[in-house]
Amino acid sequence: MATPRWFGSLLLAGALLAGASAAEAHPHVWVTSTSELVYSADGSLTGVRYAWTFDDMFSSYALQGVETRTKGVYTREELAPLAQTNVEALKEFDYFSVAKADGKKQQFLEPVDYFMDAKDGLLTLHFMLPLKVPVKSKELALDVYDPTFFVDFKLAEQDPANLVGAPAACQIKVQRPADGTASAQVLGEQNFADGGNLTFGVMFANKITVNCP
Amino acid sequence: MMPFFRARSTRALVIAVAALAVLASLDAALHPMLAQNAFGGPRPAAAPEVGGIVGWLLARQSEFYKEISAAIRSAKSDGSAVWTLLAVSFAYGIFHAAGPGHGKAVISSYLVANQETARRGIALSFVSALLQALVAILIVAIGAWIMNVTAKTMCSAETGIEIASYALIAAFGARLVWTKGGSFIRALQARPELSMAAAGGHHHHQGHDHHHGHGHAHDHVHDEHCGHSHGPEPEQLAGPGGWRRGLAAVLTVGVRPCSGAILVLVFALANGLFWAGIAATFVMGLGTAITVATIAVLAVSAKDVARRLSSAREGSGVLIMRGIEFGAAGLVLLLGLGLLFGYLSAERVTCF
Repeated sequence: MATPRWFGSLLLAGALLAGASAAEAHPHVWVTSTSELVYSADGSLTGVRYAWTFDDMFSSYALQGVETRTKGVYTREELAPLAQTNVEALKEFDYFSVAKADGKKQQFLEPVDYFMDAKDGLLTLHFMLPLKVPVKSKELALDVYDPTFFVDFKLAEQDPANLVGAPAACQIKVQRPADGTASAQVLGEQNFADGGNLTFGVMFANKITVNCP
Repeated sequence: MMPFFRARSTRALVIAVAALAVLASLDAALHPMLAQNAFGGPRPAAAPEVGGIVGWLLARQSEFYKEISAAIRSAKSDGSAVWTLLAVSFAYGIFHAAGPGHGKAVISSYLVANQETARRGIALSFVSALLQALVAILIVAIGAWIMNVTAKTMCSAETGIEIASYALIAAFGARLVWTKGGSFIRALQARPELSMAAAGGHHHHQGHDHHHGHGHAHDHVHDEHCGHSHGPEPEQLAGPGGWRRGLAAVLTVGVRPCSGAILVLVFALANGLFWAGIAATFVMGLGTAITVATIAVLAVSAKDVARRLSSAREGSGVLIMRGIEFGAAGLVLLLGLGLLFGYLSAERVTCF
């Protein structure tokens, strides 16, 4: 029995909740990532050395209020507090990195050897992200993405990922998400109705895989 | 003393249970609807299989946002790019507010819960959007321009404001739930068949408690339907209280700045174009206001439709309207709590 009052409530609920479903997500920060996968002598992966370059708008924002001796020139020392703030803040987001060795998720330790530099108004954060336990695996997959898509990660056009000290047989492969706009369009409302948007950044993931037969 | 407390706690319990019921039914009603189209409008004509409207909105927002920074960059050398900046900011504001977000949900729910007019809905939308723009401008003007603090300090200020704003929404929602819950329960009691069922069935005990609650809660709720079962008259719907009442809604929503606006402002400042950033922020607010106002008017009209349809029904019509208002009030409370405790994420303030 489709009563009119039911229809009225539906209309109302729709108008009310049109906006209320959940997270608001569009990128505010763009990061171009390059990474080095660092191996130990026995052929196990010990960690990832990242260099993340931020877009100019976010770089301006982050550089706001940073004291310098020469205006517009930022030294590593002057950027040291900022670098520290960054790596500390990144912990909450698990460094936007998911590493899986033969399908098993790996834990990271806190970053070491971190610093920042600024070139042409663009900030780059360098840091080494060590694995809690170095791992030897046939297949290793590293995803770099923000599940909430506040930060849009992109692998660098040139040399997005390299192996350092890996066994000679290991091969690295890089997989980029399809054009971001196209992917955004493919996302249906169902993702949002199901609350799936909390993880929909995975569709934009940048996957680095290493196969060591 | 005892009956007073018992009545109060029973009322709270009934409110909580009813709130859950209302929200559960809202949710059930909503899912099939959302699955078809999040905004109740026609589907985009092109490529319906892949055209998720939310995804599409996000893609547009993303584009406009990028174009804002590009426009600021070129405005440094070419003054006419400021016009592009303003146009893109306006478009961004419209699209940004059309995506999922809590501001319009709070305003719309408030309007529905409080029998407000569409005109007031439009005014509230504009005032809150402009307040939001103003807060962003003040944060950057004082923080970055005058005091030259770091982004980290500015971000802590933002986070503080954000938490306060969520707490305000929750408090505002709690107040609405309390008052609307009272009206709802009274409408429930006034419904003859329901009272009979309550008296005859296992609800017997609860039914009595209702009456205690009724007597004691009477003082602070202005309810014109106490014990009567007739539909609301138009003149009763304008609602007293004036601007002071709407102020709470404006403050809860408007006090929290948009992180996008702050980034744009700092970027403009760094490029020596702070004034252009300020203009862009206001225009962005204008765009946001238009979208929020549209959704608010939609919510108010939907309630009008519901009222017209339900006024034909003796007794239960009042109950339905009180139920809807109560549900809307509950929604504000849940939104506030959800945001406050991180179950819902709005666009988050990033401090890194």
